[in-house]
Amino acid sequence: MARVLLIEDDRETATEVMAELVDRGFEVDWAATGIEGLDKARSGEPNVMIVDRLLPGMDGLTIIEALRKGDVRTPVLVLSALGAIDDRVRGLRMGGDDYLTKPFAIVELVARIEALLRRPLDSRETTLRVGPLELDLLTRTAKRADRPIDLLPREFRLLEYMMRRKDQLLTRAMLFEEVWNYKFVPQTNLVDVHMGRLRHKVDKPNELPMIHNVRGAGFILRAPA
Amino acid sequence: MRLPDFIRTTTFRWTLVVSGAFALCILLMFGFVYWQTAAYMTGRVDSTLARDADAIARDAPEHWQETIDERLRQDPRRIRLAGLFGVDGARIIGNLEGLPDQLVVDSAPQTVSVVRIDNRGHEAQTVRAVARRLRTGEILVLGRNVDELSEIATIVERALVMGLVPALGLGLIAGVFLSLRAQNRVEAVNRRVRRIVAGELRERLPTQGLNDPFDQLAVIVNGMLDEIETLIHGIAGVGDDIAHELRTPLTRVRVGLERGRANAQTLQELQTVADQAIGGLDQSLAIITALLRIAEIEQSRRLEGFSDVALADVVREVGDLYEPIAEDKHIAFKVATESETTVRGDRDLLFEAVANLVDNAVKFTPEGGSVELTLIRLAGETVVRVRDSGPGIGAGERDIIARRFYRSDKSRHTSGLGLGLSLVTAIVKLHGFRFAISSGPGCVAEIFCARTHS
Repeated sequence: MARVLLIEDDRETATEVMAELVDRGFEVDWAATGIEGLDKARSGEPNVMIVDRLLPGMDGLTIIEALRKGDVRTPVLVLSALGAIDDRVRGLRMGGDDYLTKPFAIVELVARIEALLRRPLDSRETTLRVGPLELDLLTRTAKRADRPIDLLPREFRLLEYMMRRKDQLLTRAMLFEEVWNYKFVPQTNLVDVHMGRLRHKVDKPNELPMIHNVRGAGFILRAPA
Repeated sequence: MRLPDFIRTTTFRWTLVVSGAFALCILLMFGFVYWQTAAYMTGRVDSTLARDADAIARDAPEHWQETIDERLRQDPRRIRLAGLFGVDGARIIGNLEGLPDQLVVDSAPQTVSVVRIDNRGHEAQTVRAVARRLRTGEILVLGRNVDELSEIATIVERALVMGLVPALGLGLIAGVFLSLRAQNRVEAVNRRVRRIVAGELRERLPTQGLNDPFDQLAVIVNGMLDEIETLIHGIAGVGDDIAHELRTPLTRVRVGLERGRANAQTLQELQTVADQAIGGLDQSLAIITALLRIAEIEQSRRLEGFSDVALADVVREVGDLYEPIAEDKHIAFKVATESETTVRGDRDLLFEAVANLVDNAVKFTPEGGSVELTLIRLAGETVVRVRDSGPGIGAGERDIIARRFYRSDKSRHTSGLGLGLSLVTAIVKLHGFRFAISSGPGCVAEIFCARTHS
């Protein structure tokens, strides 16, 4: 069971987040101040941490900096109500692994925690495989079982990312940030349209579906059962 | 004793200095005039005396007394002096009591004190006089009263007093007047400024239509105040807009939740209500996020974060991103890059600006229409142009379309926050580029990018 350390000063937010994470099977420890959080991060050996950017008495980024200096490599998700681009960049540069702006959908938080806990497939592999799906990173070709799949470059990038993170819920924001590398939130259903295209090529009508749409949350790539 | 305020003004001090300088000039000038006049007159008197003395000396000795007599007779103004003295210095003839002590014989005319004797008696005078030793040893003295010189001096003095005193007085009065006026204007400005500081933004500094430096300064400051007032009203307007745009979805959320709480019979119904509420909240949050983004970009001065951005790549990527959406809507989407220009800029922001324009174009173009995204060279400038076959924009809307939350009636049925073009404008402004939107058939949005190098 993965241990999550939540450093968040707002009791109500903390209670809701803890309840949700416990429901999802995480073991959660909560610290309301930066100093308490730093103690628990050092002693409790959590698998992942959620750190609020603005804490009474101590900046969330200071905690991360202190931990990284002490060679604690625990992945950190930074929460912030600031949300500015520069702030995000700073948060990541100071050693945060991901950044989420308040207010957030709870599924978005959980999806990102899961993503931090599960390291993606080894990036040295030249061929990615999920069930019958095979992606050759050298020849830039894809096939499902024996059926070759003709992919546009953008579709290839999207599928590669999903295969590296198979069985994980990938939210639209995560896909947009990671695959397209852009930080702004598109107003139209851009990700859905691109995903629709990819799905059309990966899942033929006579095949078991591999790309699943999780309503209101995002997408999951799974090997057919 | 405390001096009145106006005396301490710069204007007054300057007036004093200028008046002083003026008075000194007048003094020097009058002095010069007097000195010149006196020198001229003395010169003329001297040369006449010398000439007459020489003429008498050349004459035959028997005419001397007669000539001297004649000379003294023809002198109604009693300014002439003449005398003939014996070898021993005794007076032979003339209206001089004796041979003046200081008078040097056979030299140039000089000023000496003499005693005039005539039928009116003795009279001590200061005169110009010359002495000549005659052939026979007698001494001839000719003189002329130069009291006129002191009369001229008196006239000059009087003129000086009559001119200088009023001039100085006028100078002082002008100084007081000017400094009081300047002080009044400063005071007037002060009063207005206090009112402006107190929040009366419509107040302006007074001008007198004189186009003097004071007026010019007031005009500049007033221009600045105009700009500030516009900005502050803009901010206030944005505040109102935010309140309105946020309250609308929040009101919907609140009403929906209230009704759902009272009326929902099943869990499913309650979930539907909750989903709608979340949707409403998300819209409000999206508005806040977008507004913060715009404010952040508008206030951003961090141009040092800029790098060389290949515009063609940005355009191609935006095209790549929107191509499937256009295709789904059966819109012919054409992307063309005719220029490989790089510009100094923030790549993500430029992408966002172009993406916003394409997003709009695709959104507002009806099915079966067309959208063109091109990077072209136009009169030496690189232009990102997005043209669509949508409904276009009315001429009256062109200026307000980039305003926050402005949504054309034509766009009421489509989703959106009404902030896209504000964001584009902010990004374009940050880069020092130009943004233009025009309506032919359809809508043409253009970003004119200042070229740094190819």
